[in-house]
Amino acid sequence: MTLLQMPERAPSRTGEWDFASLVRQHQAMVFSVAWHFLRDRALAEELAQEVFLALHLHLATLESPEHILFWLRKVTTHRALDVARSRQRRPIVSLEDAPEPVAVTPPGDPMLGAALRKLVAALPAKARMVVVLRYQEDLDPTEIAAILGIPIGTVKSQLQRALTLLRGKLSRSRGEVGL
Amino acid sequence: MNLEDEIRTALRRKEPSPEFTERVLARVSGMPVRRAPRPWVRWVAAMAASVLLAAGAMGYRQYQGERAKSQVLLAIRIAGGKLNKAQKRVQMLNAAHRNNS
Repeated sequence: MTLLQMPERAPSRTGEWDFASLVRQHQAMVFSVAWHFLRDRALAEELAQEVFLALHLHLATLESPEHILFWLRKVTTHRALDVARSRQRRPIVSLEDAPEPVAVTPPGDPMLGAALRKLVAALPAKARMVVVLRYQEDLDPTEIAAILGIPIGTVKSQLQRALTLLRGKLSRSRGEVGL
Repeated sequence: MNLEDEIRTALRRKEPSPEFTERVLARVSGMPVRRAPRPWVRWVAAMAASVLLAAGAMGYRQYQGERAKSQVLLAIRIAGGKLNKAQKRVQMLNAAHRNNS
């Protein structure tokens, strides 16, 4: 997300924003964070709607496009983590128990993408959110730490551990092809 | 492509359903809008408060002046009454003295 992609109708100092264009501009980000984290389309859409309703209520307190983007990412991630926490009673397949991705697939293959999404979905909640923010939103560990309210060292170690797990899982199914 | 690029590709953003925006806007249309107070409203409120304070201070000073004035007048009236009594007493004593002599 760059400043060039910010809403056409710039905010005035009174905190008036074009809410509809804010929704259109950020809906893919909000929905995708929820979707990649929860792996449930209906739930992700519901959560994204709730986030935008909350945005509508808090819009007057947000001062800049950067502030709105940060606020949306923070609220989305925390709500998604809350939903995941409330779903903890359900049995979740751990990464170790997750099925191996299908056969050997060439890089960039949609099958590999689907396999990776499944493996990411099997990561523990915090590590999963770190991976989503790092690779979907292209945020650095400092930004992720600020959004999640955890130390940078924790973000880095969770990222490292998640990558090691994912690499191991994939290399077992793909041999040593390119990874 | 390395693993990180593969994950980046796998986790690229996706659009929600086409009706998403309309659904959000429909839900929002029934909600109250909380707006930040406009800066000029704050200025007007501050100026109005200043004017009220100044008017109050002036009114209080005027009230104090009026009160002091009425107290002075009362004091003069009391002093005048006492003087009249003293004068009458002196006249009576003078008259009695003249009758005796």
